[in-house]
Amino acid sequence: MSHNQDKSSAYAQGVLIFVYLTVLTALEYFVAITFSAVSILVLIAVIKAALVMYYYMHIYKLNEDSADDIHSYAYKTGTNRLGLWLFLLSDAFVFAGLLTTRINLLGLTRPHLNQLLGVAVTAVLLISSFFMNRGETAMAHGDKKGFITNALITFVLGLGFLLGVVAVEWPAAAAEGLTASSGTAGAVFYMMTGMHAFHVFTGLIFLLVIINNARKDIYSEEKHWGVEAVTVYWHFVDLVWIFFYPALYLIGKLL
Amino acid sequence: MKSVSPAIRGWLSFAIGAVIAYLVGMGLVFLASGSWTYLHLVPVLFATFGSVTAYSWGASGYSPITKGFVWLDLGSLIGFALGLGIDLLVQGTLDWVAPTASLFALLFGFTAFFLGVAGFNAASKGLIWQIIGTLLAAIFVSVIRAAMGLTWSGPFLFSEPAWVLGGFMGVLFFLGGSGAVDDWFKWARGIDTPEHHEEHYSGWEKYLHISYDHKVIGIQYTVTALFLISVGGLFALIFRTELAASQLQFLTLDMKLFGQNGPQLYNSFMSLHGMIMIVSILLGMAGITNFVVPLLLGAQDMAFPRLNSFAFWISVPASVLLLMSLVLGGFDTGWTGYPPLSARAPVGMQMFFLGVFTAGWSSILGALNNIVTVVRMRSKGMTAFRMPIFVWAAIATSIIALTATQFIGLAFQMVMFQRLFGMGFFDPAKGGNPVLFQHLFWFYSHPAVYVFILPGLGVISELLPVFARKPLFGYRWIAMSSLAIALVGFLVWAHHMFASGMNEYLRVPFMYSTLLVAIPTGVKFFSWVATLWKGKIWAPTPMLFVLGGIVVFLLGGLTGPPNATVSTDLHLTDTYFIVGHFHDTIFGGFVFPFFAAIYYWFPKATGRRMNETLGKIHFWLMTPAFFVLTFGMMRIGLLGMRRRIVDYDPALNFDYTHLVMTVGGFLIAISVLIFIYNFFNSIKNGEKAEGNIWNSRSPEWQVPSPMPTHNYDQLFEVVGEPYDYGLPGGSKYVEFIAPAKSKHP
Amino acid sequence: MGHFLVVGILVIVVAVLTYFGLDAVGLMPVQASAQSVSIDWLWNWEIIAISFLFSLIVVPMIYSLIVFRRKKGETGDGEHIEGNTPLEIGWTVVPLLIVLVFAYMGAYSLGDIRRADPDALVINVKAQQWVWTFEYPEYGIISKELHLPLNQQVVLKMQSTDVIHSFWVPEFRIKQDVVPGRVTEYRITPTLIGDYKVRCAELCGSSHYSMESPVIVDSQADYDAWITAQSAIAAEAAKTPEGQGQLLTVRNGCIGCHSVDGARMTGPTWFGLYGENVELADGSTVVADDAYLAESILNPQAKEVAGFAPTVMPPFALSETEIANIVAYLKTLK
Ligand code: HEA
Ligand code: HEA
Ligand code: HEC
Ligand code: CUA
Ligand SMILES: [Cu+2]
Repeated sequence: MSHNQDKSSAYAQGVLIFVYLTVLTALEYFVAITFSAVSILVLIAVIKAALVMYYYMHIYKLNEDSADDIHSYAYKTGTNRLGLWLFLLSDAFVFAGLLTTRINLLGLTRPHLNQLLGVAVTAVLLISSFFMNRGETAMAHGDKKGFITNALITFVLGLGFLLGVVAVEWPAAAAEGLTASSGTAGAVFYMMTGMHAFHVFTGLIFLLVIINNARKDIYSEEKHWGVEAVTVYWHFVDLVWIFFYPALYLIGKLL
Repeated sequence: MKSVSPAIRGWLSFAIGAVIAYLVGMGLVFLASGSWTYLHLVPVLFATFGSVTAYSWGASGYSPITKGFVWLDLGSLIGFALGLGIDLLVQGTLDWVAPTASLFALLFGFTAFFLGVAGFNAASKGLIWQIIGTLLAAIFVSVIRAAMGLTWSGPFLFSEPAWVLGGFMGVLFFLGGSGAVDDWFKWARGIDTPEHHEEHYSGWEKYLHISYDHKVIGIQYTVTALFLISVGGLFALIFRTELAASQLQFLTLDMKLFGQNGPQLYNSFMSLHGMIMIVSILLGMAGITNFVVPLLLGAQDMAFPRLNSFAFWISVPASVLLLMSLVLGGFDTGWTGYPPLSARAPVGMQMFFLGVFTAGWSSILGALNNIVTVVRMRSKGMTAFRMPIFVWAAIATSIIALTATQFIGLAFQMVMFQRLFGMGFFDPAKGGNPVLFQHLFWFYSHPAVYVFILPGLGVISELLPVFARKPLFGYRWIAMSSLAIALVGFLVWAHHMFASGMNEYLRVPFMYSTLLVAIPTGVKFFSWVATLWKGKIWAPTPMLFVLGGIVVFLLGGLTGPPNATVSTDLHLTDTYFIVGHFHDTIFGGFVFPFFAAIYYWFPKATGRRMNETLGKIHFWLMTPAFFVLTFGMMRIGLLGMRRRIVDYDPALNFDYTHLVMTVGGFLIAISVLIFIYNFFNSIKNGEKAEGNIWNSRSPEWQVPSPMPTHNYDQLFEVVGEPYDYGLPGGSKYVEFIAPAKSKHP
Repeated sequence: MGHFLVVGILVIVVAVLTYFGLDAVGLMPVQASAQSVSIDWLWNWEIIAISFLFSLIVVPMIYSLIVFRRKKGETGDGEHIEGNTPLEIGWTVVPLLIVLVFAYMGAYSLGDIRRADPDALVINVKAQQWVWTFEYPEYGIISKELHLPLNQQVVLKMQSTDVIHSFWVPEFRIKQDVVPGRVTEYRITPTLIGDYKVRCAELCGSSHYSMESPVIVDSQADYDAWITAQSAIAAEAAKTPEGQGQLLTVRNGCIGCHSVDGARMTGPTWFGLYGENVELADGSTVVADDAYLAESILNPQAKEVAGFAPTVMPPFALSETEIANIVAYLKTLK
């Protein structure tokens, strides 16, 4: 549907999706503090994930017919795209494993965490995804400047998220007695946020790489696989957090 | 001497070298310790290395390989001395069997070998950097710990965190140093690189350097796998010798090596045997797949040549880590590494975890590449059901490896973190759950057993029609059965845990799902038999191994259902019956087909064929010996022989059976040695075989051997069924059309 | 048709021969529990199925190899048969049915062996590296041997103090892991008087191989006699410090690693230990007096005995009197 939009309607679509995601996140929070029905939380997370996968990660492009000549850039991009998605599939199993661990060890309980911080970092990551999408849209329409600006904003927000988790939340949790060795709750919390933070960290490096390459004029309207790849990766990291956030902060009774 | 053939000269030198090296080793031991106790191993090691070096020297003079062996010997000696010195400095005592010295000998020896063979190449550079990286990181952590007032040293020189970071950085340094990631770094800086590099090296040297050619990588994988089979097999021989009679023979409570006493050493050997063999399977099958799949598809290469080479090279530091675990105190958990035991084992445990973790990435990335290649790189006209059947097997395998592998990585990572940071995932004292580990572990490791066999069964299905001269019976069913096995395989993992104390109500559903796997597997067997029926069967070496594989795998498969029915499994689990079951499945599903594939495709790689007579000897020695080994296992397993024990109760009367099994094990080893000799000898001296020697319809046999660098000069189009043998009037599978897009940009 | 007939007959002949051959060899150890009957029943059917399926595949294979082999000088191909859908469906559905039947039989026999008797005798089992300890809660007996009365269901409540172990008596057939942090149950009805052994079946560290203890199935009369005797011994022992010490070494599993008769086990023997010079790993020697022994128990890593693995013995948190009692017991071992 959204294949060959013009730039402004593509931007508008990004905004719309962002609004949806924000509303859903707010709803999620509301459900959690009022009647905390796990099934609804899961449902909301799935809807959010679907929105991100379709509109931000453009999963439908996997299906796109690409050129016949297997040496063309378009064909190779198709190949690369498949490779990237398979990689994400594989990576998703790590996070699925972590969720399994969380459910097995903690069941319907959750560690005592600072809710405000949780909402804050979640919001930051969500907004970063919005700008990432804007950046990619800019590049896809040949707007190098727009891309760099948006990518830089994404980078700053991403860094904010990373520091928020590692430098603010972790010490805060530790101060409350939730340390890695204090018990399974601590172990699960640090492992999940840690593995996620590690992915954010690599995403930041990739962002630097494409920003730098864009400044060198490597990408063009037709040829910007690097930008697309990093964008999809970045949204994937956000996607993971869509599940991790409720799993850590919202589901179940406080321990 | 000129008139004597190189082989004879080689073997003469072999004998002389063995004797001299043995004596030198004995002398050294005596000089050093004044006695012979528990150090018999040293002269044996000397003799092994000495004889191999001497063989090479005798057979080929001071060739690069000989030079490699000489350097290997010197390198290990220097490393050993260095390790001793460091140990003396740190611990203050001179300990001849100190792990540090052995570790240095191992690392230096390996590195020196590759250096000697071809100077600075990817392997030797990588290994040198791995050593540097490991030491740097370990020293770094130690300094920090010392500064923080923590103990910086441990029983194995450094503390555990230092070794873990060291092991990890070693891998990264290896990758950087070997050049496996050069191009990616160039891309990151915005520099484009040509799709294929020109090969700078010719002949065997290219195998030691980074290459993006899938055929080179396939052979790199295969040879590495053969090396690991030999190492794993050697470990098996060591512990089988101990088992040959009840009571402790040489792995006694008094002996000490690598910081372990006899029973501990047994456990390390046994566990490493399991895991090294499994890694060798993964690499071996990756080798065959890599070599064959693009040829079958008519592609010029894999979809991602750099990723392909990366996936191979990362398996080298992984293997080194696995071997390091042996000398860093070993580990006594079996290949399964169950906590809480694995949370208490020596540092070697961490090296094992790291090694498997790294090897896992090799497997994941290889699988990814494979799927993309099959989806995107097929020739014109090659629809799903016109793909050669092996491709289906490769796809099914890759689906498992791509996804499930993450779970074993995660499970091992969590135990690592439990040890390092006290995270209590599996520690009951902290509310953790040891059984959770088993779920995570088997969620990978059960599907993994189908990773071991599906490519092997693919090889069987691929070769049978060629040698039966008949179409593959029920092609579609066989193709679908591979997928079915892979998918159902995801649902059965808890059959390894019937006695584990997991939730009782899970046992019956898992019994049902497990038994279901028998159905698609059965489809394969019946279709194979129907393929043979009314054929015109001929049986050169590859076919022998195919047939052997079928029978052996059948035995292994049929011993599966009794394990799957809960109540019988409560008797069978953790006994040698299980050991028998999986040696059968693994030999039938991997070892036999692997050999078949090598004998079959060898000419494609070299333009020569392997010696038939030696091949037949290999088969007729290995097969009966193998039956003796596994029938023995099952027999004593039922009667009460537990797994993973260094010694058994003499009252059980197993001595005789065990002795026979050990002899069987050695006969297998001899047959494998014959194979290895045949393999390397045939590269140079094999009978020329450039045509379609098997009279196959497959595309790769329609062009002369060896395969040119960029595969087919002409593109082909698929115009018929892959296995239409025996069609009156004949038909074609592929037709060559246009010259392939020549040279690359 | 001729080929099929010959092969059909051969398949049956070979299957029957295989089954009776295996049966004659005798695959399983003796049946010493009621549960083993049900397991062996299933096993027997499985052997029948295996014999049949094995010959069903291998016989036609070998037959083809001989009859359909390429004769000298032949170059042609075999018959062009691509497949046969009814056949494929057949050999999908028939194994499916077989498998369902076996799954049903498996569930049935599982239910059979899990049938619980409410009056089952309860015995507590403690597994630790590398020793089994059995406690009869009704009588306050602690034993390193497991005595069971004939024809009465017993339920073992098993706990581990360290790693995973597994309780297995081959003659009883059943195996059950003992997992730290939880209690697992092992239910059995012994039906054959005799001496057996429980063999730990889950790798539990370096001396896993030697984690075996006697299991003795007695007639009811012998069992009662044993209980009485044990109670008396326990009562007697409780009167003296060394007696209590000995009980403590059983209760804490010390005897899993230390022998009292001079035999070499995982740890040094206690025989003649008291008052002797002990050589330590760092080359020094120390006299095995009360202080040293007490330290060795409370903090085993303080002084390492030469020739033994250093980190193997766990520290034991025992009270002062308990230590004194153990030391008193050690003194008697001459
Ligand atoms: C190559 C690897 C491989 C393969 C292919 C298999 C195949 C199977 N395995 Fe095996 N298995 C292992 C490797 C493998 N296994 C290993 C390594 C272990 C031990 C791990 C460890 O603890 O270290 C193990 C252990 C293991 C256990 C756990 C035992 C225990 O520890 O308690 C079980 C239990 O269910 C099991 C079952 C099966 C079954 C049902 C199959 C089936 O897939 C077999 C299917 C095939 C057939 C049945 C034969 C052909 C079919 C027909 C002729 C059709 C008609 C058949 C019927 C109607 C029955 N295996
Ligand atoms: C590919 C898989 C594979 C292969 C090929 C083998 C091959 C062999 N295995 Fe393997 N085995 C496993 C996989 C495999 N095994 C696994 C997964 C386990 C479980 C481990 C665990 O419980 O954790 C196991 C466990 C296992 C046990 C049980 C140990 C125990 O529970 O205590 C035994 C015992 O007999 C055994 C024996 C053998 C023997 C005799 C061979 C023989 O076939 C070996 C023959 C020898 C060779 C193939 C080597 C020949 C070459 C040389 C000698 C040259 C050497 C030269 C140089 C190094 C330069 N194996
Ligand atoms: C898991 C095995 C294990 C268990 C259980 C165990 N020990 Fe030990 N013990 C050892 C080993 C190994 C050594 C020698 C190494 C050392 O000194 O730590 C040892 C050393 C000793 C020594 C010093 C012996 C000497 O020769 O100097 C004493 C005394 C001792 N143990 C007593 C006990 C007592 C009492 C218990 C039970 C409460 C016990 N041990 C339980 C393994 C064990
Ligand atoms: Cu306890 Cu093995
Ligand atoms: Cu399995």
